[in-house]
This record gives sequence, C-alpha cells and structure tokens, in this order.
Amino acid sequence: MQGHQGKCGYLRLDGYPSTGLEQVSDSGIDKAFLKDQFPELIDLSDSHHASRSQQGDLLKLIELPQFQSPQQAGLMGMDPRVKNQLEALRLHPDRHLHFGRDPELPNKDTLEFKKLESFSLSLNASVWDPPSLNTLWFELVNGAYGDVYRAKALMNLPDGRSMFFNWIVSQESSQFIPLEEISAPNGRPASLSELVVQGKHLDGLRIQSTIDLCLLNDAVLEMHQMPLRDRQKEAIPST
Amino acid sequence: MNHAIISCLHANLPAAEAVLNDIDRQGIDTITCLGDLVGYGPQPNEVVELIRKRGIATCQGCWDEDIIDGLNACECSYPSQLAERRGHLAHQWTDDQLTDENKSFLASLPTSLRRDRLLFVHGSPNSQHEYLLPDMDAFAALERVETAGADILFCGHTHQPYVREFRDGSIRVRLQNADHANDQGEELTLPMRKIVNAGSVGEPRHGSTNATYVIHNDATDEVEIKEVAYDVGRTCQAIVEAGLPKVFAWRLSHGFEFAEQAEDASHVCER
Repeated sequence: MQGHQGKCGYLRLDGYPSTGLEQVSDSGIDKAFLKDQFPELIDLSDSHHASRSQQGDLLKLIELPQFQSPQQAGLMGMDPRVKNQLEALRLHPDRHLHFGRDPELPNKDTLEFKKLESFSLSLNASVWDPPSLNTLWFELVNGAYGDVYRAKALMNLPDGRSMFFNWIVSQESSQFIPLEEISAPNGRPASLSELVVQGKHLDGLRIQSTIDLCLLNDAVLEMHQMPLRDRQKEAIPST
Repeated sequence: MNHAIISCLHANLPAAEAVLNDIDRQGIDTITCLGDLVGYGPQPNEVVELIRKRGIATCQGCWDEDIIDGLNACECSYPSQLAERRGHLAHQWTDDQLTDENKSFLASLPTSLRRDRLLFVHGSPNSQHEYLLPDMDAFAALERVETAGADILFCGHTHQPYVREFRDGSIRVRLQNADHANDQGEELTLPMRKIVNAGSVGEPRHGSTNATYVIHNDATDEVEIKEVAYDVGRTCQAIVEAGLPKVFAWRLSHGFEFAEQAEDASHVCER
C-alpha cells in the first residue's frame, strides 16, 4: 500500500468457522492502524464508499481469516461464499494470496497450528503507565501468560500518543509504531484501544489482572498531563 | 587468602544452600553477605536463619531496610507502576511471614562493613537503594569508591555481576585569574580502584538461571565471578504454593537479563 501511487481501500471479512479452529473476531486494530497511516483510506464495507471502488487506480486490500490452505491455487482457491460476499459489494479480486502458500507473503509471517486460543480485551479510554506497558509486553510475548504466537494491540500513552504493537513468534522482535494522530493531553482519549492475543494455554485472567496493575487512574493521569498542557500553553505565542 | 561475597539472596533457600555448599567445597571460611536476604522469594525465615546460624557477616539491603522501616522510600524505588504494585504485594507477604526475631536481626544489620581497604555495601556507600550499574558514568562511579575511602567496593543490588576497574586516571585542574598573576594548576593521579558486583544468589538477572557470587583473593586482588546451578524448579513451586505472584516464578525460571530500571538509576532516595 505504501508503494501504491493512487488511493487505497480496505475491507475485512469475517471468516467461516472450521472444526477445531476458533475464528478470531475483528478487533478493528488493522483498520484503525491503516486509517491512521493512510488518512485517505476508503472503507470498502461502506456501500456508499464501495461505489467509488470501481476507480481504476484504487488498490483494494481485502483480508479474510482462513485457517487452512485453499484446495486450489490462485483465484480458484477462493471460498465460493466469499466470492458471493464480494460480488454483493461489487468487488472482483484479481489476486488471491494465502499465507504459507504464496511467496509474495513473507514466510516468517506464517504460522501453522492445529488449535488456536484467542484472548481479546477492549482497552478503550485506558491509558498506560509507559514503563509498565513495556514490562507487560515483554512478559506477554515471552510466555509469562501462556504460549503466545501472535499479539497485536493499540495502546494509549498519557502524552496523547497511541502505539501500535505487533508481535509474531516467528519474528525476532516486536514492532512498535506510533500512530500519526495524537490526542490532546486532556483526559482519556477517544481513539480505539484493543489487545488481541493468540496462542496456547493462555491465562486470560492473569493477563487481565496484570493489565489492571499497569493502567493509570484519573489522578495519576492528570499528574502526567498537566505539565504537558502547561508546556503547550507556553509554546503558544501571545498576541 | 580467598574470601567469598554473596548478595541478594531474596528468600530463595535452594539457591542460598547451593552457593554456600559451593563455597564450603572450596574451603573458604570467610564469607560476607551484601544483604537483601528477603523479598520476592518464598522462604524469608529459612534464609535469614541460615545466615544467622552460619554467623555470616552481613550488611543491610534495601528489602531488609524496607521490612523494618516500612515502605517510606520516595517513588524512585520502583521503575514502574507495575513493579511498585508487585513489590508492595511481596513486601506485605514477607512482612506477614517474618518472625519478630528475624525482623530484629534484619534491623540490627549495619549499612556497610569494612575490612581494611575493602568496603562492603548493598547498593552504594550512599544508600541501599542506589544502583551502581556497570555502565554508570565512570567519574560518578569512581567518586563513590574514592569518597568512601576504599580500594575495592563490593556491592550488589543490580543482580548483574561485574568487575569494573579504574586505572591510569588523572584529573587536571587549571584555575585562571583575571590578571594571570595567581593562576594555579593541579594534577591528581588516581590510584587503581575497583567496583565488584556480586550479582544475585536468589534472583539472578544475568541471562542465566544460575546463582552468582564472587571470590576475592586479598593477597593478589584477583576476582572470580562464580555461577552455581541450583534447583530452580523447587523455588518456583514454592513461590506458587505461597501465593506470591506467579510471574516471580516465571522470571526466575528464565533468568531473564531484562530488568526494569529507573530512568535515573543513580538517583539517591531521599527518605
């Protein structure tokens, strides 16, 4: 998407449950992150915007969770139910890529598993103590709460920044990307905040209780934000 | 003559026993302990009693101090809100477990021990809470040794063993006056100084689960950092059975190098 000159569109479809594999509900993290990185991103799930999808230079990215390799290569391997869904939105893919099958998708981003557990937590309006967030993420991806294969999150910091956290067990380290949009340091932010973890033997209760120890209460948040507001006031030249 | 220095036992009895056995096997009978007998681990009374029974000269660590004086340190003691809340949990648990007799022993410990040109402290000569990290500014680190009047400063607290030598150093000062008539100059050549950190017996954080301690030869000044394997699983099981946070057992079982550090590790708590 970064290399594409024209506009980009994005759609995330729900998957179809298969035996023994839990489908992961859409947390909205990918969409929120892409929207931040590409403010002109067109939401293809919106029928009004979808009508604009016929523009020739529009790059359309459609994501679908599917936990088994397709029977056939290329577009022939697409689930007929997905085709119907896309046709209803007048979307006609010209390529179908699957992790683990197509070399265009990095092999290190491919995970193979027979059973998947997932844990997700809405953290909207929550703000983290930054060093505590650092510790929690280290513990999480290093197995303190079960074997984590995949973890992704959008987290709010007291200075108004939001961070995208991204971890996959086959990669050497986590990705930490600050979002472009920064909230005013004035109370709790309205932006989406969510944590999604996938793996085995996940201890959701312990993850939750550790997170509770890391989040700032109103008084401490105000202690962080007040000096930031004062500095902003000083930076505005008087007329 | 060889003597051994141990630090940061953190209520880990299997680790403490393994290290003392290793020291005994080498025929070393002078042992100095740099404190933190309790905290995080599941056997605070057992470890204090082992040190008392063996009559090991010990100085007071930050955990030993906090158990006696209460948690009245300023916010610098914990590098994060998470560490602080977990630390308070462990503090409360330890406080509930420790006998009055063992608390009295911790209260009686000196903040430093001195043998000739050797000084033994938990954190630094300034405070049990100050971290002398291996990459601390050399001038500040040297100041800690020099002002304490020691040739070798033995410390712990960081849980990372290291030996740092200061040699071939000099400080030159030139004071210039307006008329240049009374300009003064002075050059101070610094003698060799050493900081030796013993690491941790009970909660190692040097990338391995092995307990660490140090052997120093007071004739040759040679220092050897020793690693001792012990039954980590036994301690981890005891942590879980005691109801302490499971993450303490997880951390111990991995010997992670990662450790939270305060933004300014050399800050001295102004309690």
